[in-house]
Amino acid sequence: MGYAKKLLDQIGLGGERLEMYFLSSAEGARFAEIATEMTERIRELGPNPLKNEGARI
Amino acid sequence: MIIGEQKPLDEIKQMIADYQKVLILGCGTCVTVCFAGGEKEVGILASALRMATKLDGQNKEILEATVQRQCEYEYNEEVTDLVREADAVLSLACGIGVQTMNEQFPDKITLPGLNTSFLGQPTEQGVWDERCQACGNCILDKTAGICPIARCSKSLLNGPCGGSKDGKCEIDPEVDCAWQLIHDRLQALGRLDLLTEIQPARDWSTSRDGGPRKIVREDLRL
Repeated sequence: MGYAKKLLDQIGLGGERLEMYFLSSAEGARFAEIATEMTERIRELGPNPLKNEGARI
Repeated sequence: MIIGEQKPLDEIKQMIADYQKVLILGCGTCVTVCFAGGEKEVGILASALRMATKLDGQNKEILEATVQRQCEYEYNEEVTDLVREADAVLSLACGIGVQTMNEQFPDKITLPGLNTSFLGQPTEQGVWDERCQACGNCILDKTAGICPIARCSKSLLNGPCGGSKDGKCEIDPEVDCAWQLIHDRLQALGRLDLLTEIQPARDWSTSRDGGPRKIVREDLRL
């Protein structure tokens, strides 16, 4: 995780686009909370600048 | 094995700045085992460079390949077509692989994507330690199999210096004093007598002091 986040920073995409959470399948409310949190974070960061470039990455 | 470490992405980007089509060439031997320049690392670096150069507006074309052993011409011949196609080669092999490629393909520049670090051993998962300096005159028989040249910070040959404290080296409390290790192991083996043997002054001409080294085996030459 740390390596992937650092790599995304070096690439210029931003490591904050990636996060890992640990939770069990019984934690539905927590899952929804995390999904909302990440959605808000990504909305703030804006769309992936590489999206729709059409090239193989 | 030879231990290497990938250069920072920014340094690599700067290195390939003048080339549009770059072949990233991994090596399937030492640098694969130390997770620095094998097929997997080639794939990750290629993706990273495609994304990074796209974001920079350079949009470079990145080719990928890995040969089994980049320090031998025979293996590199397999990628001749890819090398010709590329404007430059970024090698993820050790410095030997990089130089072999430059000698083998003189009209194409091969750049180093790794820093070749040392000759070492994986001592635990994700940790590599230096074990040999390729001095060309091995004395491990006299030092309980522990190399004072590679593992003593001063490469001392006559026991520990005054900086040895509680079995550790003065340069770093995490670094073992090689001579403490040697003494302890010889003691455990009942061979402390080896330390009392008078050794002649060492001939360092087999090491780097004698200039670039070369071995010629007439029995193997064609």
